[in-house]
Amino acid sequence: MSRRSRASGHPLLKSYRDTFSAVKAGEAVLLDTDFSMVTGSRNGHHCRQLAYPRVAVYTGSGASHSWIWFADLLERQGIYDVRFINESYMIEEGLDGFDLLLVGGGDTYAMAAALGRDGAGAIERHVRGGGLYFGSCAGAYLVLGGVDREPFTPFSLVEGDMMNVMDDPPPPRCLEHKYLAGYGDGWVFHPVYGELEISAARWVSGFPCFMKSSILHAPLFGGPVMGVEDPEEVVAEYSGLTDRAAYPWPRNDAADFVIGRAAVALARNGEGQAVVSGPHLEHPLFPEANALAAEIFLRHCAGIAHRKPETAGGNTEMVQPGTEASLLLEIKRQVSNSRIVGFGLEKMPVTWKIGLKVWEPEKIRMFLDYAWERLPCLERCAGRIGPVEPLEELASGYSRVTGMVKSLKMKIEAGEDSLEEASSLLLTLKELTAGFLSLYFRLRMEG
Amino acid sequence: MDTMYYGDILVVDLDSGKTGQVEFERQMLEQSGPGLASGMALLREHVEGEPLVLGSGLLTGTTAPASCLGFALGASPVTGEPAVAPLSQYAGSEMKLSGFSMVVIKGKSAKPVYLWLHDGVADIVDASKLAGKDTWETTDAIRSDMGEHLIQVISTGPAGESGSRLASFSINYWGSGDTAGLGAVMGEKNLKAVALRGLGMLDAEEPLEFYHGTLELLSGSPAEKGFKATCAAVKAYDIDGWLKPLVHRYRSCFACPHACNTFVKYNEDHGVIDSTGVEEPGLLITGAAAPLWLQRGGWEVEPACRALEALCREGMDVVRGARELAGTPLNDAAEIRAAVKGLGGTEDAGWPADNDISYTGLFGPWVPPLSEEDGWVEANRAGYVLGICPAYILLSGIDVSRLFELCSPAAGIELDAGRIAEMFA
Repeated sequence: MSRRSRASGHPLLKSYRDTFSAVKAGEAVLLDTDFSMVTGSRNGHHCRQLAYPRVAVYTGSGASHSWIWFADLLERQGIYDVRFINESYMIEEGLDGFDLLLVGGGDTYAMAAALGRDGAGAIERHVRGGGLYFGSCAGAYLVLGGVDREPFTPFSLVEGDMMNVMDDPPPPRCLEHKYLAGYGDGWVFHPVYGELEISAARWVSGFPCFMKSSILHAPLFGGPVMGVEDPEEVVAEYSGLTDRAAYPWPRNDAADFVIGRAAVALARNGEGQAVVSGPHLEHPLFPEANALAAEIFLRHCAGIAHRKPETAGGNTEMVQPGTEASLLLEIKRQVSNSRIVGFGLEKMPVTWKIGLKVWEPEKIRMFLDYAWERLPCLERCAGRIGPVEPLEELASGYSRVTGMVKSLKMKIEAGEDSLEEASSLLLTLKELTAGFLSLYFRLRMEG
Repeated sequence: MDTMYYGDILVVDLDSGKTGQVEFERQMLEQSGPGLASGMALLREHVEGEPLVLGSGLLTGTTAPASCLGFALGASPVTGEPAVAPLSQYAGSEMKLSGFSMVVIKGKSAKPVYLWLHDGVADIVDASKLAGKDTWETTDAIRSDMGEHLIQVISTGPAGESGSRLASFSINYWGSGDTAGLGAVMGEKNLKAVALRGLGMLDAEEPLEFYHGTLELLSGSPAEKGFKATCAAVKAYDIDGWLKPLVHRYRSCFACPHACNTFVKYNEDHGVIDSTGVEEPGLLITGAAAPLWLQRGGWEVEPACRALEALCREGMDVVRGARELAGTPLNDAAEIRAAVKGLGGTEDAGWPADNDISYTGLFGPWVPPLSEEDGWVEANRAGYVLGICPAYILLSGIDVSRLFELCSPAAGIELDAGRIAEMFA
């Protein structure tokens, strides 16, 4: 069994999945004041009913591949009412109706520039109106109040700052290509890159993920080391280093810098709340970290209005079975072709810097794997997939991707610059994966 | 099946150009037996379609030592009997991971096609542009089309397309051990090639027990290079010394501790390690019998290697071809190519060594011909059922019962020599 499979079947996450599955099935799940589940008939006034959330995951400009980890986490929690949205959607449609907005890693500059003041306004209204903003890595930098240079000025949900910034950081011992990002006259730097220990603040020590130990592990891939003005807002702080990390700084210096500083913080803002996390709590190989994020989601869902989960409804035009089967086969064919070529790319010594984000060839297959692993579910849903257009778009999209991966590989083999091809491919893959997961989550939502 | 095999049995009907899939049920595995034993059952079941059956052994593609072996099975145009040829090198493991447990190819296509089997998807691809191409050109073209050089290409060359008695399928660019003429079966079906690649993973019944069991076997296994052990076993001339002036490297098949395949360079200095841009620097010699025939016939080593290359390109059995060429040593490359094209297939397969093995049965002389008493037949049977190279079984001295013991943690199956004998009764 793979490490990822073990994480997927972790009992901590199973309990969240069972809970949300019950809510999705229409059961009234009541939580006590300490957020434990109420059993029996205690319908006291202090109990709150858990609602099934509608979630938006940001996949637009600046987002790297890491938003798919959120999709993975939501699926393992049994939360399927999910939309994958970009900046245009956020600006034009707003975030009304969403309970959670999840923003993962990537290029914070590109995110902020794409979202602009209108996007910032939509996010602020979402939180003030009672929504949860959960940002990890780039998504955390984006809303820290102290990150206040353009284009970040309009974004400020948490009174805190990044500490990993200085005018003249020492040269790195490794990972030079990931060590620095410009910020004004100075530099954001990353003294450690990989798995770290984080420890619980006292007020969250009763969370299920901290029951066995007050320390859990989570990966820091360039996220902020934070200072938070109100210590009560700290959820967890960095408390130790591990051997499963790279150290651009000498390990002792990295420890001195990082340990004791805020890793995760939660700030109330209007009716809602914003969570910022330096490490990727949503990373699929860290079930205890996943459970911390899951608990934050669950607690938020105990305070929101309950509504019937939305499904696509019954009057959609169904695709003909033969057409559906051939389109599913075509998607499978092209995802397989792309994965095979993508796997071959992984042995090539190449990376691409797109904006401020460095992409490795492995990211190509990571996108494709998320579709590949979920294709059997789509095949099982044959006969009730609904309109033909999403399948047609996926089939033609993945066919295009096959051609793009082959072209990219030929460029690299010829020793030519491949940045333009890689940028185009990764953007296409991001959009296609969002489209694929939208269909997948809709089908899971419908049963 | 959910352990050691994944994917259905693929049935390809070249008459209609359609494919279908049948579940590979555990019941079949238990009743017929794994690997070649299941393959023989499928051959019987689909006999009216004159099928070519491809598959892999129970342990193929795992961490078991020498677990490189898949098989191709069909009616041999050479003997008229069912015959098996090895899918060695990396073709067997890729067959295992292609997403199909077994493949049955029936009928005859109206036009040249190749099969592209990947991750449980079977595509019948037009191969009109590959008609008449040699196996090297075919391999290059398919890998270029699909964009990946790790794709394993089982192809037939001009010899197979013309129905030559010498036809043999190639594995990528190299000789395959098909001494039964299955390359001509492919040609008859208008099946230019079968291309394989998969990124799947195999599950074991008891993964840790299986893994540690295979490691234990590996740790006690001799790691040799070249054909020395083979030549010694059949009491033949030590061909390694003859090849030495051209040897560039030794290469094992998938998961094999014995790197017998020998890469020789004759289009550039054999000592050059880096790729210098010479596109076709030499040849991978995948068996000792063919060079032994040529050496015994008085050939110089370099023209002999060029002759083997020409045989591989044409899609001819290197052993029978070398035996036929042996008596007339040549030096000029063009003359060698012309001589190869003119071969008629008058010789039988075999080794230039005395032995008591009859090759008229299921198994050909790909495996070194030790005597019947030394367990040659049993090694072939066990090897093709388990997916372990039978040459490795014979030459390494491994206790086969220890390989049988792996079957339980691998797939919950109990195997022993008696059960294997029943499968072939």
